[in-house]
Amino acid sequence: MAIDEKYRELINADIDGEIQPDEKAELDAFLAESEAGRALQEELRELCATLDVEILLDPPQHLRHVVMNSIPTPKALAESPGFFRSLFAVPAMRYAATFAAAVVVTVAIVDSGQIQQDAFNNVTGLVGTISDTSDLGPGVATTVINKADVAGTVTLRLADPILIIDFDLSTKGPVDIVATYHDKSVWFNGFAQLESTGTSVSADDGQIKVQIEGKRRYAVYLHNSGSRNLSINLEFFANGESVHKAILEYQQD
Amino acid sequence: MNEPDDTTLMEQCIKGNRQAFETLLVRYEKPVYNAAYRMLNSRDDARDVTQTVFLNVYEHLDSYDPKYRFFSWIYRIALNESVNVLNKSNRLESLHTEPESQTKGPEQQASSDEMSEGVQIAMMAIKTDYRSVVVLKHFLGCSYAEISEILELPEKTVKSRLYSARQLLKEQLDHDGTN
Repeated sequence: MAIDEKYRELINADIDGEIQPDEKAELDAFLAESEAGRALQEELRELCATLDVEILLDPPQHLRHVVMNSIPTPKALAESPGFFRSLFAVPAMRYAATFAAAVVVTVAIVDSGQIQQDAFNNVTGLVGTISDTSDLGPGVATTVINKADVAGTVTLRLADPILIIDFDLSTKGPVDIVATYHDKSVWFNGFAQLESTGTSVSADDGQIKVQIEGKRRYAVYLHNSGSRNLSINLEFFANGESVHKAILEYQQD
Repeated sequence: MNEPDDTTLMEQCIKGNRQAFETLLVRYEKPVYNAAYRMLNSRDDARDVTQTVFLNVYEHLDSYDPKYRFFSWIYRIALNESVNVLNKSNRLESLHTEPESQTKGPEQQASSDEMSEGVQIAMMAIKTDYRSVVVLKHFLGCSYAEISEILELPEKTVKSRLYSARQLLKEQLDHDGTN
């Protein structure tokens, strides 16, 4: 038997907790007489219970940093957005620009004798995957920094045979980070960042230097052929002074 | 100490306080991301939409009308942006959209996962107008009045649209054998 629209809405409102006391009395009287009404109420209750237990997903951890690094400073807010800001407000354009910048800088700063051709292919793939933290691989070691000049985490991740140093930091001013390792068979394989401004990287044998200012999520990729055990010494400098030291260890299981 | 409310934070944002904006970002990134995910069935698209939504909010701080609550403004932007992405990618109303993997451990790949996937498949099978009200009601926990404000629809329309959406979802779940 068809149920009057009025009662269908009352059943919904009752399930949603949005029914008025007088409406509730009217609905109860209707349901006492209507088997079809009770059946509909049961069906809707079951459906709503199913929907309400759905779990909310967590957004990618770095999303917050990306947004904060993308917004203009208060001084710039009053200015016209301009062509480039409008253009890079589109995420796809920003990722494309990041990728292009990453490749250009990598080519510019890395000793060509140190990198094989397939390394550049790896860089291409790796730069594109920074946008999803879950693609960075599991963390094998983490250090937490909580200093006035720099705070956050540096995590060593494994995406065999690549080791990824995942910098997720916030700094008060420019901070230089020097990462050193002694195994000369390990070589700098590329880097990725979600915003290219205010960050620079340079690589030499057994040493990577990164300069970060503000909030940054930045990944440095090391090719660790044979998955050798590796110790990476990190030292943080603010205004030329060492403010923090840490060691990240990778040990093969 | 209580955190400042949205209106206070918005006033501070308009004065150029980035910390206030970050507080709003922390408060709303999860519901915005989930609304976009439920509308689009793609984590990548949900991430991009969330990013775009917050950048749009920041770019248009001065156009915020305080007579509306902040959440209704940002949820409206999120739903509109999601629909824009759907229109652009031509994935509207696909009956065969598979939900993305939730990347859970094997012990969690049980009936709750099947139900969850079934719900998302059914969600993608209903029209975006209906999907929007379900997202607002069941995933963001909005009341009829709040949905009415967000979608700029009379409350009566919200009620009837929600009822129709539930009927369609139920039919779809029954059809897929999930319910």
